[in-house]
Amino acid sequence: MTSTVTVNPTAAKAAISGLTLRYLVLAGLIVLASVGFSLANENFYSLVNIGILLRSIAVLFLVSMGMTFVMLTGGIDLSVGSNVAFAGGVGVITLTTTGSAPLGFLTAILAGMAIGTINGIFIGRLKLSAFMVTLATFALARGLALVIYDATSINVSDPTFLWLGGTSWGNIPVVIPFVFCVFVALSVLLYRTPFGRNVYAAGANFNTAFVLGRRPERSVVWIYALSGALAGLSAIVTVGRVSSGQPWSGLYLEFDAITAVILGGTSLFGGRGRLLGTILGVLLYGIIINGLVLTGTNPYLQSLIKGMILLGVVLLDSWTQRGKAA
Amino acid sequence: MNIGKILRERNIIVVTLVCCVIFFLISPRFLSVDNMSAISRQIVPIGLIALGQFFVIVSGNIDLSMGMASVFFAVLLGVFFGLTGGVGIGLLAVVVASLTMGGLIGVLVAKLKLPAFIVTLSALFMAQGLSGLVIPRGQQIFLMGGFFQFAGSQKIFGIYLSFLFLIGLCAAAYVVYNHTRIGAAIIAIGNSEENAKLAGINVDRVKIGIFMFSGLCSGFAGIMLSTRMGFVQPGLDGNGLLLDAIAAIIIGGTLIQGGRGTIGGALWGIAFIGIVNNALNLLNVEDVWHQVFKGVVILAALGVNWLLWQSKQSEAH
Repeated sequence: MTSTVTVNPTAAKAAISGLTLRYLVLAGLIVLASVGFSLANENFYSLVNIGILLRSIAVLFLVSMGMTFVMLTGGIDLSVGSNVAFAGGVGVITLTTTGSAPLGFLTAILAGMAIGTINGIFIGRLKLSAFMVTLATFALARGLALVIYDATSINVSDPTFLWLGGTSWGNIPVVIPFVFCVFVALSVLLYRTPFGRNVYAAGANFNTAFVLGRRPERSVVWIYALSGALAGLSAIVTVGRVSSGQPWSGLYLEFDAITAVILGGTSLFGGRGRLLGTILGVLLYGIIINGLVLTGTNPYLQSLIKGMILLGVVLLDSWTQRGKAA
Repeated sequence: MNIGKILRERNIIVVTLVCCVIFFLISPRFLSVDNMSAISRQIVPIGLIALGQFFVIVSGNIDLSMGMASVFFAVLLGVFFGLTGGVGIGLLAVVVASLTMGGLIGVLVAKLKLPAFIVTLSALFMAQGLSGLVIPRGQQIFLMGGFFQFAGSQKIFGIYLSFLFLIGLCAAAYVVYNHTRIGAAIIAIGNSEENAKLAGINVDRVKIGIFMFSGLCSGFAGIMLSTRMGFVQPGLDGNGLLLDAIAAIIIGGTLIQGGRGTIGGALWGIAFIGIVNNALNLLNVEDVWHQVFKGVVILAALGVNWLLWQSKQSEAH
């Protein structure tokens, strides 16, 4: 938050090549991780498994892209996992009461956006710390999800509602091209619109952005609303994938998303990062997690490894940043 | 002091007392000695976590790991109890492990300038993983015998020993916070790290100390958790404890931007959470509503604190 908004051209060039280097390293690690797990489990490389893998991390892709916007402003959104359960609950209940899948889609996304907007108002307008506000909505959204579902899951059979998360074209799940479309749309939003420039400005230096009339407080509200809307979208995919709405879906999803985004090179302090990095980060992280599940690793060991990955990446980042500053 | 000022500065006391009256009118059993005594025992782990968290938040940070860490420490105590049949080594291990963990978090936050919420978020997951790894999967360890009986249910003058421990620790914290240079240093860091540094405060050392204390509080909370439950298992709801503790701190009027808060307020916040948790059970409110309620309470308290702070700022100008 302390760096200046004006960017000196050579520094910008260095930063881009730094990011390119990071993307190359990530791509290398993705190859390495997949080779490693394919040696451990011969099913890993089958086309079917790649389809399953991509489908299982589709939600992580969506949520992490929203998280990238949030973290570009120097914020954090701990509520997305709970929000997926809550928005899914609203969507499923709407579907079962009205029988209309489009209405279910709409209410799911609006419900996700509602939680996101609450976050945005508290963080952007009231200037309260993001982790505290989203910790409250983390509890609130999970609680609401439990209330909506009455703590049990609801089976869904409506083919339209399940289409996005459940259908495949051959070996390719429908959701993969869909995620790609969202990626393109969000890239346009981030790199080609004034809104996108405001995102970077708000993250690089909130006060300067304010003085320049970029209305960072307003951008922040919209960014959290966007993150919430993507959680709503993820809810639809989640329900489609398992053919039921579950009150505990999306548990710890926010943690996975934060790790993937940091892995993808987005700065914890805002203002620096790209969506492409997040895509690579999700791929690598997803392959690792998926591999751990496939090899039957103890879930508690998985938790430990996840925690160590996050801390390791953050440590590595701070170490390389330090090297650059010296 | 006019009524407006009382409402503004002592709002948590008013709210807590009003809640007590309402709960009493709905269910007269609420104010019985037995129930009050039960509440005093229930809030001990939450209270310990809240006390540790208080200093972290006043210094402008957060420790998200405290809930899961206390579950891990409870399990650790249980494992040592299972191995040795005694508690001495287990208690020592918990104290050493909790201080070490807090110290490590403190070093990462203070020396490497990593954001506390990320460091403690990864610590949360590591603690959760470790608590399941030190104990065979799906198992519980039952804790019986002298110490657990003593620490869990012994009373002095009708008051639970564990509650007296919490009060004693709060009293010590009160003295440190209000009457020593360490307390002043914590507040200074919460207000502005740069200014604290300019004033000659060893910011890094104070920060590491704060996280060591919050780690120790997690350790104590874990011990108290194990004595109250009578068994330990890795699946205990650590995050629920953390949320309750943070709610207590915010309700107690601590400014989450850092730099302001009182131990007395935190104690009232702890009391409020204890009373509400108890009343929700006593009034047979369905479990699913508890979390909704907590989320709303935290958001509302954040909003109210913000409004009060805002009005104070405009008064000052």
